[in-house]
Amino acid sequence: MNARRWLWILLFCLPLQALADIRLRDDRGATLVLPRSPQRIVTLLPSLTESVCALGGCDRLVGTDRFSNSPARVLSLPKLGGLEDAQVERIVSLKPDVVLAAPSARVIDRLESLGLKVLVLDTKTHADVKRGLYTIGQLLESPDAANAAWSRIEAAMAEATTRVPQALRGQRVYFEVDSTPYAAGAGSFIGETLARLGLGNIITPELGPFPRLNPEFVVKARPDIVIAAQSNLDDMPKRPGWDALAALQRHRSCGFDVEHYELLIRPGPRMGEAAQLLADCLAKLPEQR
Amino acid sequence: MSEAERQARRRLGIGLAVLTLLLALAGLAAGSEGWSIPQTLALLHGPDGGLVVGQIRAPRTLGAWLTGALLGLAGAVAQGLFRNPLADPYLLGSASGAVLGVVLVLAAGMLAGQGISLATAGAVARIGLVGAAFAGALLGVTLTLALARGAHETTRLLLAGVVVGVLLGAVSDLVTNVAPDALRGKQAFLLGSTGFLGWGSCALMAVGVAMALPLAWRLSRMLDALTLGEESAASLGITLPHMRMAMVGALALATGMAVSQAGLIAFVGLVSPHLVRRFAPAAHGYTLVASAATGGVLLLAADVLARSLMAPQELPVGVLTAVLGGGYLLWLLHRRKTS
Amino acid sequence: MSTALQAENVSVSLGGAMVLRDVSLALRPGWTVIVGPNGAGKSTMLRSMAGLQPLAAGRVLLQGRPLGDWPARARAQQIAWLAQQGSATGELTVRQIVQLGRLPKLGLFAEPTAQDEALVQQAMVAAECDAWPHRRLNELSGGERQRVLLARALAVDAPLLLLDEPTTHLDPPHQVALVRLFKRLARERTVVSVLHDVPLALQADWLVIMQAGGIAAMGPPDDLAVHHALAAVFDHAIRIERFGDRYMALPNLD
Repeated sequence: MNARRWLWILLFCLPLQALADIRLRDDRGATLVLPRSPQRIVTLLPSLTESVCALGGCDRLVGTDRFSNSPARVLSLPKLGGLEDAQVERIVSLKPDVVLAAPSARVIDRLESLGLKVLVLDTKTHADVKRGLYTIGQLLESPDAANAAWSRIEAAMAEATTRVPQALRGQRVYFEVDSTPYAAGAGSFIGETLARLGLGNIITPELGPFPRLNPEFVVKARPDIVIAAQSNLDDMPKRPGWDALAALQRHRSCGFDVEHYELLIRPGPRMGEAAQLLADCLAKLPEQR
Repeated sequence: MSEAERQARRRLGIGLAVLTLLLALAGLAAGSEGWSIPQTLALLHGPDGGLVVGQIRAPRTLGAWLTGALLGLAGAVAQGLFRNPLADPYLLGSASGAVLGVVLVLAAGMLAGQGISLATAGAVARIGLVGAAFAGALLGVTLTLALARGAHETTRLLLAGVVVGVLLGAVSDLVTNVAPDALRGKQAFLLGSTGFLGWGSCALMAVGVAMALPLAWRLSRMLDALTLGEESAASLGITLPHMRMAMVGALALATGMAVSQAGLIAFVGLVSPHLVRRFAPAAHGYTLVASAATGGVLLLAADVLARSLMAPQELPVGVLTAVLGGGYLLWLLHRRKTS
Repeated sequence: MSTALQAENVSVSLGGAMVLRDVSLALRPGWTVIVGPNGAGKSTMLRSMAGLQPLAAGRVLLQGRPLGDWPARARAQQIAWLAQQGSATGELTVRQIVQLGRLPKLGLFAEPTAQDEALVQQAMVAAECDAWPHRRLNELSGGERQRVLLARALAVDAPLLLLDEPTTHLDPPHQVALVRLFKRLARERTVVSVLHDVPLALQADWLVIMQAGGIAAMGPPDDLAVHHALAAVFDHAIRIERFGDRYMALPNLD
């Protein structure tokens, strides 16, 4: 009689245990099973760090990559290298329950072969960011926080859109990500934000999210507005042929210092603030004669 | 010289001239919509013509040729100096020195908070990437010469070059660790790019060619004598240390100039002398000049391809020189195996 | 007796070992051969006298002045040198290589004159490599290459010719031709060669027999003392026998 009872209890516990499991699909299509919500998390991408903190999981972070600097409290966490040179030994020694990383990081295979669980989240488009927030919400067992975070982003974007002057609607932007030059195309999250704000892009979607351009293309495309890091913006007129760009001549450009530029290019929970930052600048642009 | 040699030189000369002309025209026609003569003509008639063709494509085309010429010359000097067909211009620490210069400038802003004063950081940032790369290249070679205690022995020079390369590379890595924002710029520099060569860059590189080429050419007899072996060359009355120093100087100048304008482009310096030797083997006086012309053609071809293959996107030119140069070496190996 | 080139108490140390110990040698006009077993220091001696070897002690005098006081080109016009193993490489043609012999006179910049070209041609004829002036060094056989490098040394037209193992890779007909050439040259110049080949060495005007970093004996090839010394330094593996008016070295199989 006793044994049977224990058997029933066991049988009950098993599905309950399964219910307590967290099952997640990451962006590789792999399924991750965790026995319970992770208490020790390592993130290897700044936007993923921000997402975890935005959803209330900051206390659970035990280590980040070297580029993570927001919010300020993560600065004191151990820095574990970048995506290309993550310090495997250190990560393992921190005994994380899960590691959050971007796709195609060399370190993923290594960490998994050492028995760690890795959750891969892509961050190229708005849809990616939204899905990522919800997945992390599931991970932290706080789906409401994910909802709230996404709503905040949406609200901020809507608010920013109202502040963009009508006259700027449809004008074409050149958003420079790197001075090689790499640009943010319409298909990238930056491009999507710009589209939400009512702006066009000289880079059409079929060129990919972050194409490496022939500089001549930008000159010929005659963007109406140029957005870049301030230091790159200052150097632009020196590039052969670029001093003829009307957008540069008439200062129809938005330059950002390092801190704010970083905010613009992070596909994370602060995307709404990024949109507002852009709107602030756009509202102050001189007239296009 | 024999009739055969004269003919070979004529053929190579004509070949290079024709290729240069064709590629120059292609360079003017290759733009962000690929390679298209009708579009170029339309462009020239339109309002953008002067700007795009005159200010962007023309100096870029000339600049690519000049960069290739500097690298080809430097490669021929390096191979003659070290009597090694695998020598390239970056052997004596010029590459790692240039990278360090670039990294320091990129990191100047970030380092300002950490140990170096704001004023120093400002001064460093003002030198600009080009100046820093050039100064870095020269510094790298100077360090190598100092470590080898002059240019007395070739093996010591080579070893010193390797040591300096590793050391300066380590310092660059340290700096990028402290200032990770410099990483992206450093990687771009390592790949090389002809994207922003304007008339100013062309003028600087033309000066570089005007200085390095005559110097190397005048000293080419020394390289010829070196083929006999170092002792035999010394027995012919050549003060090897002084001559070597002068050659290293020409090498550093040419390499530093090329690298500061276009980054570390691989293979051009290595392959150009091989191509010349394949088609018109000769004494060094001819080989040096012909390597310069060949290097120009090689890099120009790579640049035109980089612009045209995936327009309006651009491939890194260093990838194309590796494909072209590496492909040629592979073909050479294949021929040797089957012959 | 002309003492154009002489070594005074020369000592050389290589890699920690004393390869030459306090050697003195005054060169005589004519053809001198330095012989000795492996490791005796023959090549080192020759290199020291050519000014190519740093000395641990002693000095070498050229026309009474220490070698170090001579400007490089002036010295190079007095002493022509042929290295031991051809470490020559590359695509230069035969003619271009031999033309390098005119470097001491022309320097890096001057253009060769008709006289220079004539000397180059003479040197190629003398060394028997004038038949293929436009072939490249890396297309030649060992013997052909040796003759080209010898021609290069001859083209210097210097009064002193120092040749390290000039007969390597040469077949008997060419070796004999070389000996004839040396004897001819030796009438106006001083020719010194290091040779391994004792029978050839016995054709010289003067023999210097070295052993273990020093000179064991010196003398003309018909000197009995020289014969004894030769046999002794080679551990009596050879013996010298008279053959008409010449001397032969025979392997001693007893």
